[in-house]
Amino acid sequence: MRPVALLLALLVACHGDRRPAVISPGTAQPWPAHRAVLLDQSPKAKRRAVPAEVFLRAYLGWFGDLAPYDAFLRARGNDLFDQWSYYLAALGLPDHHVDAPRISQSNTVMLATIGRLGEALCIRSVEHDLRANPPLDKRVIFAFEQPVQPTRETFAPAFDILHRTFLGYPVALAPIPRIDRFFALYREVASRQATRLTPDEMAWAAVCTALVQHPEAWVY
Amino acid sequence: MKWWLACVVIGLALVPDLGAQRALADYRYFRALSIDLAGRPPTRDEIAAFEAAGFDLDAWLDARLASEPYAERIRRVYTDLLRLELPEGTAVFRPPSVLLRWTTIQDADGKTLDLYFREGQRRLKPELDGQVCFTQAETGLIVGADGPPNGTPKRVSKRLLEERTVVVKPWWLYADYKTRQPRNRADATWVERYGYELVWSMFNEADGKTPVTGVRVCREEAQIAETGRVVATGRIVKKGDPLLPGRLTRLPADTAFAKANAGTMTSCFAQTGFESSIECGCGVGLERCLPTVPAGFVMPWVTPLGVDLAFDSAPRPAILWLRAWWSQEAIHFLDRIFREDRDVREILTSPSTTVNGPLAQFYRFFANATCCGAASELGYTQAEPLFDPAKVPTSLSPHEVATWTVVEDRGPHAAGVMTMPMFLLKYGSRRQRAHAVYSVFMCKEFVAEAAKLEPSTEPDLTKRAGCSTCHQRLEPMAAYFARIQESDWTYLPQPLFPVSLERCTAAGPAGMPMGACRTFYDPDFTDRTSTMLRGAYGAPAHADEGPRGLARDVTSSPEFAPCVVRNVAQSLLGRQLTAADDTWKAALAKAFVDGKYRMRSLVRAIVTSPRYRDANDRKPR
Repeated sequence: MRPVALLLALLVACHGDRRPAVISPGTAQPWPAHRAVLLDQSPKAKRRAVPAEVFLRAYLGWFGDLAPYDAFLRARGNDLFDQWSYYLAALGLPDHHVDAPRISQSNTVMLATIGRLGEALCIRSVEHDLRANPPLDKRVIFAFEQPVQPTRETFAPAFDILHRTFLGYPVALAPIPRIDRFFALYREVASRQATRLTPDEMAWAAVCTALVQHPEAWVY
Repeated sequence: MKWWLACVVIGLALVPDLGAQRALADYRYFRALSIDLAGRPPTRDEIAAFEAAGFDLDAWLDARLASEPYAERIRRVYTDLLRLELPEGTAVFRPPSVLLRWTTIQDADGKTLDLYFREGQRRLKPELDGQVCFTQAETGLIVGADGPPNGTPKRVSKRLLEERTVVVKPWWLYADYKTRQPRNRADATWVERYGYELVWSMFNEADGKTPVTGVRVCREEAQIAETGRVVATGRIVKKGDPLLPGRLTRLPADTAFAKANAGTMTSCFAQTGFESSIECGCGVGLERCLPTVPAGFVMPWVTPLGVDLAFDSAPRPAILWLRAWWSQEAIHFLDRIFREDRDVREILTSPSTTVNGPLAQFYRFFANATCCGAASELGYTQAEPLFDPAKVPTSLSPHEVATWTVVEDRGPHAAGVMTMPMFLLKYGSRRQRAHAVYSVFMCKEFVAEAAKLEPSTEPDLTKRAGCSTCHQRLEPMAAYFARIQESDWTYLPQPLFPVSLERCTAAGPAGMPMGACRTFYDPDFTDRTSTMLRGAYGAPAHADEGPRGLARDVTSSPEFAPCVVRNVAQSLLGRQLTAADDTWKAALAKAFVDGKYRMRSLVRAIVTSPRYRDANDRKPR
């Protein structure tokens, strides 16, 4: 068996006249062109929280440019709003009286506070803009004619107005399509039993609150 | 319609809306710019304008960079670093010559009357000298420094009441308190007219309904003279002397100043006048004094959007109410620099400031009340202030809280924010003051790495092992503040307080004299031939230069401009600058210096840079 194996190995090794190819010298060719890859090397950081002062100014503006005390008067009732002092530190304001620094990154208490403030704003705005039904130019948040039993198509332009108000750009440019998700939220809330507000009013308040609480509303 | 016109119309209609071409990143950039430069997110109208064809971002930026919200945004960078507020409970500035204390007595009809007086007021009657203007025998009451009196009240006869007291229409209740017949009493309209609010119920008579139209004060306090004759009683008062019946304090002794200047005239605006003259009172409408009661002066407390939009306010006594305005002085001072795009170095160097009514009153009548105390033993009796009262606009009334007036030159010792009361109280010690300037304006910290602290008797911290690492730098900087008393703003002038004062040396057998010498000169640096002004040993020459010298040193240092760039860029980018930013930071700093230290161009350069535009880790999906 062993001689046969050796013979087979010899035959395989010496099979054919395969001498190495000869590479003749020639003129140097340029390297083939390659695609330049641009790397963004600028330092990046996490998105920063909107300064508390900016949030407060925006909030008062969304309430129709009210003074803080007037916003409190408008917002209070039905446990929607306590006192400003309960919220200000949680929003990240520094307190220089006691050398407490500004909070520039969000935290759960901050988010809960923004949610609470957003709910008060949106419910009061529904009462002011939709229930009282003033002319469009007198409405601060819901500056549109409330569509009756909205479809996706009639919901979208109204939602775009809210989207621009709170997030600062048209909903069509949202990184993740939002209209369907928020319309689903609208329908979900609108399908529930009415409380002080009608189901549709509750649904608009929910959409508004969700936008105020949206991460893009309080970071930049 | 011409065929070509129809084509143009159709063509225009077919041109896509430029707004639709704006990318998400553009909107986000515009929103970030609005947040930082307009102080709020963009409104729907502003977004629509941004989307319109022909929107000029440069022009928009120029407009924003000239606006109040921009100035407020940049000011926040520095207020966050300097933190110029004092804790609620801090007891600062309570000089007896300023405080108008409150008590009650009973009139001839048995009605309770409020009575105001100054603790320590000099009076002609020896038994009343230095206290309220009635004896215990006359009122049945023992009157402490503050609060209701103790004892069972006795009725004070009308004659005695008229003899000892007078009713004055005070500055806090009357806008026209300087007139002969003040009529313009404070009411609810004052909030709109002056920005000044009182808790009205606290300014009613005891029946709770009748508005107070005047306050009863002891006659000496109601005097309006600007100078008074110095009296020396010849009284010798020792610590162990028993109290006279009905008194809670010993009779005032003659001060060294009174002994030396008896019979001469002295200013009633200084503590020495209060301490040594019977003729010095609280001035017209009591404008040189602050009532400790009632706590009815509404003080804006939480003011992230300014005092006009207070989120919380609380009634306080006037002495604390004043504190809010010290803080506002620094804010208005910084706002002016950024709003008018002035040289940023002025934060430290400027002799100017901005004052409102309460601050004008403070600088004219109250600030010098902290002078001179023990310093009068060394001949310092008339304050040489950081803010010359003669430079204060006399047109400002104490109740004009919303009227702010620029004072271009406070005096020869003024140096930006460093000589404002709020800075000097927030950073009470010389070293604290130097450290604040070092960290905020040079972006450096005192960190002793691997230092070993060992027991030592070496008083010179620039030499003591373990301390010298930091104090070699800190002590010379702190020496710039050697002439401003700690936790105070009293300035110690060079002629009276040379760095080395011969009379305070330890040449005598008892060593360094007690009293003022030890208050103002450091025994650890005193020998038989020389002494050392406290805090000056690190660099005696710096003591004479004062805060202005520090301002010059800091603003001319190579660290100043990069530090401004770092503070502002970090705030706008929302992150720490790293080594990768060094080239960019250096270029910004150079442009900042070449541009004569103007903040507006620096901010413009930052917010138009790719670093700002792409400041966060948000990636397009």
